[in-house]
Amino acid sequence: MVTVQRSIEMLGIPTVLITVEPEETAQARPPRALYPRGFVAGHSLGRPNDEALQKWILMDALSLLRDPARPGEVIRRDYT
Amino acid sequence: MEKPLELSRYCVPFTPFGKTLEESLICLVTTAAVRAKTDTPFNVEGDNTFRKIDGSLTTADLAYDDAHYDHACVDRDLNCVFPVDRLAALAREGRIAGMTAEHFSMGYSQALRELRETTIPQLARAVSAARPDAVVLTGG
Repeated sequence: MVTVQRSIEMLGIPTVLITVEPEETAQARPPRALYPRGFVAGHSLGRPNDEALQKWILMDALSLLRDPARPGEVIRRDYT
Repeated sequence: MEKPLELSRYCVPFTPFGKTLEESLICLVTTAAVRAKTDTPFNVEGDNTFRKIDGSLTTADLAYDDAHYDHACVDRDLNCVFPVDRLAALAREGRIAGMTAEHFSMGYSQALRELRETTIPQLARAVSAARPDAVVLTGG
């Protein structure tokens, strides 16, 4: 996944990854990444039909685009 | 003639984001094997192709083909891995300008060399051609 992200970023497009595998993602050095703590594969945006939670996570991910750069790091946040 | 240099895995490519979110078109890219219901299914055992997903579609128009991640969430709400309805809501609220005319999905594959040398470069160029201001990626 990070390979895809890095390839898009190399073409001059800012990217942000929502990951559920923070260790693996950090090793692959993403331009920007958000890990909603405790979430697992198939649940990247949290709970089904929880529009408020899913929009919150999306806006947090998008906000990383504007935040000070921390290339290669995975930002961990709690959503409980 | 020497081979072109390759980006070290210790180096992080970084493109600054120079716009505001309110004026940005966002593109979704996932590896969760999402596709339009009318499109060709992914091979769940391994598939090195990717699908374009029309940006006007909602999750009601979409399906997934997967045997590798937990489906408890996506069987009720595909936004769990492909939050296209939520992005559309953010656009209606004016928090982003909108979405690109196409989103993109890859499927499951262990053919890493073909992914690296063929599929991913093709996908990245297709994403670039959609002219997003920023891309949000999700896994399975």
